[in-house]
Amino acid sequence: MKIRNLTLIAGALLLAGAIAPAAIASDLSDVGYVDQAQIASLPAFQAANAQLAGFKAQLDGQYNAAMKSAKNDADRQRITLQFQQKFSDRQRDLIGPLFTRTQLAIAQAAAADKLTVVVDKRIVIFGGRDVTNEVVGAIASAAALPTPTGTPGPSDIGFVDQTALDSIPKVKQASDDFQKFATDQRAAYAAKFAAARTDADKQSIGKEFNKILADKQDALLKPLVDQTKTVTANVAKSKNLLLVIDRNDVIYGGTDITKDVQDALSK
Amino acid sequence: MSRMRSASRAFALGLTLAAAAMLGACARVDVHSPQIRGVGFVRLDDIVKRHPLYGQLAQLDDAIAALNLAALGPHVPQSAAQIAGETKDLNAQLKAAQARANKIIGQKQNDYASKERAAVQAALAAAGRGGDASAAGSQMTADSARQAQAAAQAANQEFMLYQQTVIAQDNAAIGNVERQLQEAANRKFQARQEAAQQRESALSLQLSQADSSARLAAKTRLNNLALDSATRKALQAQLAAIDKKEAAALGALRAKDEADLMAYRKQLQDETSAGARDQVAKIQAQTRAKLDARRNAVASQIRSLGPAPVPQNVSPALQTKIQQIHQQFQAQFQADAQKTVDEYNQVKSDLDQQYAALHGADGGATGATVKQLSDLKKRRGDLYDKIVAQIRSEASRIAADRGLNVVFDNVVTAAGGYDLTDEVSKDVESLHE
Repeated sequence: MKIRNLTLIAGALLLAGAIAPAAIASDLSDVGYVDQAQIASLPAFQAANAQLAGFKAQLDGQYNAAMKSAKNDADRQRITLQFQQKFSDRQRDLIGPLFTRTQLAIAQAAAADKLTVVVDKRIVIFGGRDVTNEVVGAIASAAALPTPTGTPGPSDIGFVDQTALDSIPKVKQASDDFQKFATDQRAAYAAKFAAARTDADKQSIGKEFNKILADKQDALLKPLVDQTKTVTANVAKSKNLLLVIDRNDVIYGGTDITKDVQDALSK
Repeated sequence: MSRMRSASRAFALGLTLAAAAMLGACARVDVHSPQIRGVGFVRLDDIVKRHPLYGQLAQLDDAIAALNLAALGPHVPQSAAQIAGETKDLNAQLKAAQARANKIIGQKQNDYASKERAAVQAALAAAGRGGDASAAGSQMTADSARQAQAAAQAANQEFMLYQQTVIAQDNAAIGNVERQLQEAANRKFQARQEAAQQRESALSLQLSQADSSARLAAKTRLNNLALDSATRKALQAQLAAIDKKEAAALGALRAKDEADLMAYRKQLQDETSAGARDQVAKIQAQTRAKLDARRNAVASQIRSLGPAPVPQNVSPALQTKIQQIHQQFQAQFQADAQKTVDEYNQVKSDLDQQYAALHGADGGATGATVKQLSDLKKRRGDLYDKIVAQIRSEASRIAADRGLNVVFDNVVTAAGGYDLTDEVSKDVESLHE
């Protein structure tokens, strides 16, 4: 009988163990996504982009004319900055209001669907909640969109601005070193390429050039990339995040850990 | 007792089944655990590198790198806008040269007309007709010379405009012909290249299908953990031999195709260059003929203005003398003007050469490089999209099968979640076996 009781207990424990994880964990269901290409194809965006393209074409002519009169590099830099500013101002005037409306539409859709993060459709392979139609409908409607009353809830999906990490001195140094190496090699291989006689030789030089760059990249940048990944993963764990994605892929919400990663990497 | 024993046996059997079920469940990770919570991810770049078509993708990358290096070489491919800009400059230089030549000719015409008038007056004075008759004759000669000069200038102006129009038409026609020939050659080459790729893909598929049973059998046996090392080695060697045989067959076909394509490209380039030379020569001959015809017409028009009218009340000998003076100065003017025309033609010839370099054989070659680069990038993009679409499709299927809620692509890092990379890679690889 004792043996039978023990067997029953063991069986119960085994079954309990088998079903326990499902009982204590709740799946993530607050991830949404938006098809930005679909939004960009809306008539309002297309019209604004066409206007901006026309302005740029006009500006290009003026820029080329102004550059002809430049006497030195300082002049050229001043002219370039001046025209960049003109373009940015016009871009802000034309696209800015549409962009703000889109942000409000996304915030509205996220609040309605209780989403803590909305990402770009391109990075979602499966599942998630597609809010594109809701966002498109809100943008296209004549109604004024309300300003969100609160910030999105805490998300288990984190993000990091990788361009901000590029400015960390050791990362920047490695990146500059690689760029210099690539420029030197490009010139050297262009000369080799010019001397090559057959298509096979040219193809082989192209392959060699790609390999030499990849090897150098591995030597210079990979250790830093690996270190960044480890640090990011540690920060993510400390904040109970499941995944960390790139800042550019996040449209709304998410947990920003850029500063934590920057601080950890700068130590 | 017997009932109790049989109940115990039934329970033990149930327990064994439950344990077996548990073990099965352990083999399949619980995607609803707190560390995963229904979230999955794939490292797309890693799977792309393990995709059977990655070799083709890498080849395209190498070819693109090679062409990008070509772009840094001495023959820098120019964009359509750059070519258009330089053409505009050349046309402006040509126009300036024409205007300069016409101005010089006009001045010379004035000089020679003045000299002729002075010579006629001197002849009239020598013949004792230096008084009123001489003044009237001089007046008449000056009026006629002014009219002739104005008419000649108008004719020259008209000729200049005609020349500009004809040269512009010539340039447009040459550009058109070269573009058409280049496009036709590109189309032919692309068709041949695609046929070669299809042949290679068909052979690859045929080989892998022919060997699929042997490969699958060897792989299945290799999955047996109890296999002795000698048999394992033999099976691995068998798989390697199959791979090597397929690679050799495919490599041989590729090498042959590559050689054929290189020869075909050269043939097309030769044909295109010869065709372009032929057409350009014809167009330029037609242009020259048109310009010569108009120049002759203008010259004859100017000649028809005839010598400056000679006073009627002079002797036949003096009339002959005045006629001789006119012919002498006309000949001197034409010889002098010819020098200016020659100088103009030299400038035009230089500009024509620059134009040919911009639009001609070299332009065709650099244009072809740009086109080839653009085609390669498109093919690379299409192939990459195809690979990614397949990976995404397989990842979605596996995610649904696993019961995941959401799957991301290319995350920066994962502190949790379920990594589907290996499963998807194996799945994609198996689809091609």
